[in-house]
Amino acid sequence: MHFVWTSTVVTLLAFVILYWLLSRYAIGPLMSVMEKRRELVLSQLNEASTTREEAAAYVEQQKEALQQARKEAYDIIEQSRQTSGKQADQLIAQAKEESVRLKDEALRDIESEKNKAMAALRGEVGRVSVQIASKLIEKEIDEKSNEGLVDQYLKDVGTKS
Amino acid sequence: MHEAPIIHLGGIPFDLSIITMLIVSCLVVFLIAKLATRNLSVENPGKLQNFMEWVIEFVQNQIAGTMDLKKGRPFITLGVTLIMFIFVSNMLGLPFGIVFEYDSVEKATIFGHQIVPVVDTLNSAIAAGEAHPHAEVAFWKSPTADVSVTMTLAAIIFVMVHYLGMAKNTKSYFKHYLEPYPVFLPINLIEQFASLLTHGMRLYGNIFAGEVLISVILKLAAAGAVGWIASIPLMMVWQGFSIFVGAIQAFVFMILAMVYISQKIDTHEEH
Repeated sequence: MHFVWTSTVVTLLAFVILYWLLSRYAIGPLMSVMEKRRELVLSQLNEASTTREEAAAYVEQQKEALQQARKEAYDIIEQSRQTSGKQADQLIAQAKEESVRLKDEALRDIESEKNKAMAALRGEVGRVSVQIASKLIEKEIDEKSNEGLVDQYLKDVGTKS
Repeated sequence: MHEAPIIHLGGIPFDLSIITMLIVSCLVVFLIAKLATRNLSVENPGKLQNFMEWVIEFVQNQIAGTMDLKKGRPFITLGVTLIMFIFVSNMLGLPFGIVFEYDSVEKATIFGHQIVPVVDTLNSAIAAGEAHPHAEVAFWKSPTADVSVTMTLAAIIFVMVHYLGMAKNTKSYFKHYLEPYPVFLPINLIEQFASLLTHGMRLYGNIFAGEVLISVILKLAAAGAVGWIASIPLMMVWQGFSIFVGAIQAFVFMILAMVYISQKIDTHEEH
């Protein structure tokens, strides 16, 4: 076992120089690259998590939109059902009104026809009764007296009116 | 036993094998790291980049296990440098060895300088009257199989740890020496130096023992035909085990360094 003191100095120098060379040219750059990779992986992980969150939010949004669309469709159907029912009711009411109106009209027509007929009948009855009366009177009195009677009658009518 | 190729330049000793192997280890580590981070990509990392990231993440997990990762982040580079440097150093000595054999004092030179331990060994052998004196010098070995290297690494951690303790955690750092009672001060001081010593010696002992056994197996192989055949499975087993030990020791050295750091920068808020 030789202990040569210059070996100590040379070892010290060699080790220090090697340490400096390694840290300057090899390990330093390599560690910065490793650090960069770590950051890259970290950022990619973050990105992935945000993307996942976004996707989840999007799905939620889509679900909501779907729900809303379904609700809207239901509303539309309900509304149309309601409007159609209303329309039917309206139609029925209209028809009822129309029939009532027609009935009233018919009744009024009947009434006026009846009145007309009565008026006509009254006139006819007057004429017929006059004829009957004249026929009866014809047998009793002649034309002359008849004429005198009519004149008197007409006179009476003329003075009285 | 292999000698170390130590030469004296202007009276200062240099262990050429350690210097060479340290440079080789540093080059290998830096080349691996540089190749791995050549075409850096955030989204599509290559195989080597993945490997390097795996190393960093491994160290990061170990640090997170010993201390708060916010405080421990600056030590990741240190941990990666330690584990890679020690692992590569441990592996370097395994695949082959370069051994020079010298049998005369005149030839035991490198670049015109005497290899001191070889000269000493040869001289003592000649003085003992050996007919064929010879010494072997190992050039290629694990730098971590040398005590001065491992103790230096441990000392770097030791100095750094205590500096961090004093600078960032002053009050509880000094209080820690008097706990649980002021009587324990010597024991606490010894503990610090013991941990320094075991930190360096553990690595040295494991790797050095591994290389010694390899050279023993190589001697067995050189002994004869039977030894040569017997040495092959032994070598395979021991090489495999040495790879395992080298990896474990690199890991242990790194994790211990992190544990020491966490002990000293821990503010003991929970007490």
